Amino acid sequence: MRWIWIDRILELERGRRCVTIKNVSAAEEVLHDHFPAKGDRPAQPVMPNTLIIEGMAQTAGIMVGHAGDFKEKVILAKITRAEFSDAARPGYTIRFTAEMDNYSKSGASTHGKCELIDPHTGESKPLAEIALMFSHIDHNMAGLAFPEHNSRLHRATHANVAGLGFPG
Amino acid sequence: MRFELIDRVVERQADALTGIKNVSAAEEYLADHFPGFPVLPGVMMLEALVQAARLFVAGPEGEWADGGASGNISGNNPGGPLVVTQVRNVRYGNMVRPGQALVVRVTLRKREGDGYEFQGEGTVDGQVAVQGRFRLEPLNAA
Amino acid sequence: MTHDEVFAKVREVLEEALGVDEDEVTPEATLGGDLGAESIDYLDIVFRLEKAFGIKISQAELMADNVLSDPQYVQDGKVTDLGMAELRKQLPHADLDTFDESRQVDEFPNIFTVESMVKFVQGKL
Repeated sequence: MRWIWIDRILELERGRRCVTIKNVSAAEEVLHDHFPAKGDRPAQPVMPNTLIIEGMAQTAGIMVGHAGDFKEKVILAKITRAEFSDAARPGYTIRFTAEMDNYSKSGASTHGKCELIDPHTGESKPLAEIALMFSHIDHNMAGLAFPEHNSRLHRATHANVAGLGFPG
Repeated sequence: MRFELIDRVVERQADALTGIKNVSAAEEYLADHFPGFPVLPGVMMLEALVQAARLFVAGPEGEWADGGASGNISGNNPGGPLVVTQVRNVRYGNMVRPGQALVVRVTLRKREGDGYEFQGEGTVDGQVAVQGRFRLEPLNAA
Repeated sequence: MTHDEVFAKVREVLEEALGVDEDEVTPEATLGGDLGAESIDYLDIVFRLEKAFGIKISQAELMADNVLSDPQYVQDGKVTDLGMAELRKQLPHADLDTFDESRQVDEFPNIFTVESMVKFVQGKL
């Protein structure tokens, strides 16, 4: 299992908003354990809600990193609140929309929504609402060894922002 | 990989369960999180709490033996497996690296209808790595 | 804004920032001890108080965390006389009398009660 929980960036508005999508596929091994068939009950593959929170954290993390020109090391410090109203099953697409609430030297707070899109009809319905906080690690955890290029995602995002693989 | 975030249950009480998630460099997703600096992702700490809470609800007989932590109590439950539907103020402190063990402890706060509310805490070498509240509900309840 | 109005808004801020229930947020409840606030929560609280009351707050003026990182104010995990004087000057809203007995840095988060947050906001309005 790779640690990449969004597939594409659709929109990135500096310091304000980021929209991404993640396709949920039965080919992802995590769905085979979550949840397997047992006895008479068929398998019930759904994307774990914790990993949907991670998708939002990666979406919001791009927005927070971008706001600081990717000079700050950004880590998820808190899941302020998450509320789920549905489940993400294979064959659907999750659209993450993250918005910035606050941004400062120490960190940032964000909120956003996740929607389930049916790629066949284009219809969407609410999946979750998630509020997060990020910490700028250098301002809060002095002395902690942390590599310069801390995240593949952020490097990938650099490429995305530069126009490589950026849709549209 | 298997989506199994509790390796061992070490203690059961009337209102609580303690389990262990061993973190190993052999876990492939750590290569992405982060390259050259593997640490257990924060949401995986939350997932360990969620799976510990499922094991608590399943009880000592449960279906732990054949189902494992990820889907174990679904067999007789018409609502399907329990999933996390609400998270409140989950905070991260210390990081957890390969070779370290995250000791998670979940305590039942209240039961409402089909739902269970838990307080959870995970420590590494006695230092708090994660803590917060969450709610489990059957997958097919909605 | 009356004390009760400020308290009601502070309570709402703390409920949302700390994920606690309304009945847990009493005036005497300590943020660190009773409500379980961690360092990231104080940043969240600052953000939310700024928005709720339309004020600007630096984390330093709310918490005087600069004092605790200064070696002339802290020795062997305890706040010195000089440090106590500085805390009293910087934190008129906090309850420092109980803390003065132990002066243990570990217990510092307990000086912030819900009522001390109300006082702090009132001082900024």
